Amino acid sequence: MSRRLPYPEGTTPGGKGRFEGYEVLGQRRYWDEQTRKLVMDRLENTPELKFFGLAEAETAGALLDVILGQHEEPRVPVLAMVDARLHAGQTDGWRHEAMPEDAVAWRESLLFLDDDAEQSFGRRFHACSLEERGQVVQGVQDAEGAWYSLPAKHVWSLWSRYACSAFYSHPLAWNEIGFGGPAYPRGYKVLRPGWREPWEVAEQRAGDPVPWATRVERAKRSHAVRTGTEADNR
Amino acid sequence: MSRFSDKAVRERNESAWLVPTGQQRTNWELRRQMRRYDHDDEVDLVIVGCGAGGATLAQRMARAGFSVVALDAGPWWDPDADWVSDEAGSNKLYWTEPRVISGDDPVAMGSNNSGRGVGGSMVHFAGYVPRLHPSDFETMTRDGVGADWPIGYQDLKPYYEQIEEELPAAGEHWPWGDPHGYPHNAHPLGPNGEIFRRGATKLGLRAKVGPVAIPNGRFGHRNHCIYRGFCLQGCKVNAKASPLITHIPDALAHGAEIRPGCMVYEVVVSAGRAKGVRYFHEGAGYFQRARMVAVAGYSIETPRLLLLSASSAFRDGLCNDYGQVGRYVMVQGAPQTAGRFSEEIRMYKAPPPEVTCEEFYETDLSKDYKRGFAIQNVSPLPVTYSEHVTAQGHWGEVMREYMRDYVHWAVLGSLCELLPQQRNGVTLADDKDAHGLAVANFSHSECANDKLLQKAAQSVMEDILRAAGAEEVITVKRYAHLVGGCRMAASPEQGVVDADLRTFAVPNLFVTDGSVLPTQGSANPALTIMALAARCADYLRSTSRSGLLAP
Repeated sequence: MSRRLPYPEGTTPGGKGRFEGYEVLGQRRYWDEQTRKLVMDRLENTPELKFFGLAEAETAGALLDVILGQHEEPRVPVLAMVDARLHAGQTDGWRHEAMPEDAVAWRESLLFLDDDAEQSFGRRFHACSLEERGQVVQGVQDAEGAWYSLPAKHVWSLWSRYACSAFYSHPLAWNEIGFGGPAYPRGYKVLRPGWREPWEVAEQRAGDPVPWATRVERAKRSHAVRTGTEADNR
Repeated sequence: MSRFSDKAVRERNESAWLVPTGQQRTNWELRRQMRRYDHDDEVDLVIVGCGAGGATLAQRMARAGFSVVALDAGPWWDPDADWVSDEAGSNKLYWTEPRVISGDDPVAMGSNNSGRGVGGSMVHFAGYVPRLHPSDFETMTRDGVGADWPIGYQDLKPYYEQIEEELPAAGEHWPWGDPHGYPHNAHPLGPNGEIFRRGATKLGLRAKVGPVAIPNGRFGHRNHCIYRGFCLQGCKVNAKASPLITHIPDALAHGAEIRPGCMVYEVVVSAGRAKGVRYFHEGAGYFQRARMVAVAGYSIETPRLLLLSASSAFRDGLCNDYGQVGRYVMVQGAPQTAGRFSEEIRMYKAPPPEVTCEEFYETDLSKDYKRGFAIQNVSPLPVTYSEHVTAQGHWGEVMREYMRDYVHWAVLGSLCELLPQQRNGVTLADDKDAHGLAVANFSHSECANDKLLQKAAQSVMEDILRAAGAEEVITVKRYAHLVGGCRMAASPEQGVVDADLRTFAVPNLFVTDGSVLPTQGSANPALTIMALAARCADYLRSTSRSGLLAP
């Protein structure tokens, strides 16, 4: 419990965030043992890849980072987290009739993604530039009906569910978004809008005081450049 | 000060006094001393499933002196050791055995609506326990849609009152449906609930705090809520109700046996009567003899079990002579709308169940749709909230920017009364599970009325959030809850069970879970399922002794 964290306090993925210095693990001594063990294990032990083969891992890693906009260190090890989940067969509890089991759908969709990249840019997906990868992924999101042998919208849902549930279960991401994290046995006592617990950190980013609408517009413009959809957004 | 007598509750169900005080959440002594039956013992009642329906029935019947064995496919939870205060770590609470979903509007399973283990889905339900309205029991007569139940609201009302006391339910006086009060006063509001009330007040809409199955004040040995916001991950506090703490302890104290890890795959019927159930436990097969069988596996697994129990006497599945098993499964349309506020909301604090508005529950003749919807606040944690953002088509940096703004958003959810349709339901797929049993295929498609309702609900949620000051709103389309699949009806051509939940086809076989509901209203179903099971128990107690069910 008194162990040091494997990174400086307040670290966020890619150094991004609006809660300067907020460290969700600063509260870990007030968490129950089971939860603390689980979260610290997620943080300290990145599992070895067991599900994805070497080539699959290259494609999957690149895909997950593109979906999550994860282009700079430090990163949440989403590839390893998704791999561990697929290896354990931990599904969400259903598959669409028109889709194979999650594990098969992952392997097939990675092959198709490489095919798309080869056709458009003459190289595998992970070897493409960020902009090229963005365009390939945008193509899948925009596809109507089938994408190769799979329904495009179900593929998109599969990718984004696995990506986001890994990323946003990691304490680095909690630091980024100001989330209070596990809360047992310590609960909350300050329940009013605009008020905080003493240990919660106010949103503060001296270098980036622009309002929400401007920030999101800026992100959308940058995203449009990355995916080659800039003209459509004007 | 409670308006209800704890003494009366305790005389009916002592569970809250049987959970331990101090540092443990589980009464290990009670579990160790549990009565155990042999497979050759012909017990009075074997129950399949220990959720809302099964556990309530087990408690009532054990207390009345019946010998009861209740089987559950999942584990027997210990909140201290098994549950965590973490979204991703709570996957084991959900039924994640393979299932296939299909239809024009397929419904996500797992965390969305399917529990696993003793306590069932209520272990991870939000905690809302509203009653159905009187109109829900006769939508065909009143509105020309849905179906009429073979019982009316008044038949269920005494059981609503009993269960509200046993959970117990906390909330303001309820002005909708059949107006009523709650045994415990409403909880203080969290930030998300505050936003809801602020918006509703601006629009002149009544919004009430509750009803939530969390005691507010002293109730037996249950701990007080600490407002930590992890209701959907299993309440480690023992504050939020689930049958694990509201009915199983009393069942144990009265001689019921709970058998976890038992996957029932056949209800055995011979000469027109149920003889018991076959199940797998740790790889081996067993048969438990019983004088009566109650199936309480919920709207997917109950129909699946009946279909798997086909025999020479029931070629198309047990109780399925009229093709009713697995039909009319319903989910509520449950779009959720998030609003962005300039102040910090931090909706992850306080329980997600807080405020409800039922102003749009009943049919409004000025609208082009029948029936209605309820609105409640929900408070998704980060992983779940990311689905709201990705549902807008956002990914990459835009998705991250929205998520980085998490503390500024408040979320409302609606429950829309999608209509029962014969085509929506469960069949057996070609896929097999780890036991070699055919898995369920749940097909779901909306009708025109369904689409109009959800559109209307979205627009009301947007209005409320904007009235509260939201500068941007985003909506995710989704579904919540499950009911139907073995509905109760006046005749065997129209349903699987009668008004007392006895199957038309086999006189000593019962279905006591959410699958018996003919309509769903816009209410979360847990309370109604428990009330129906308690009513069924009264029926069984009154008739069994008179020899009606004797072999």
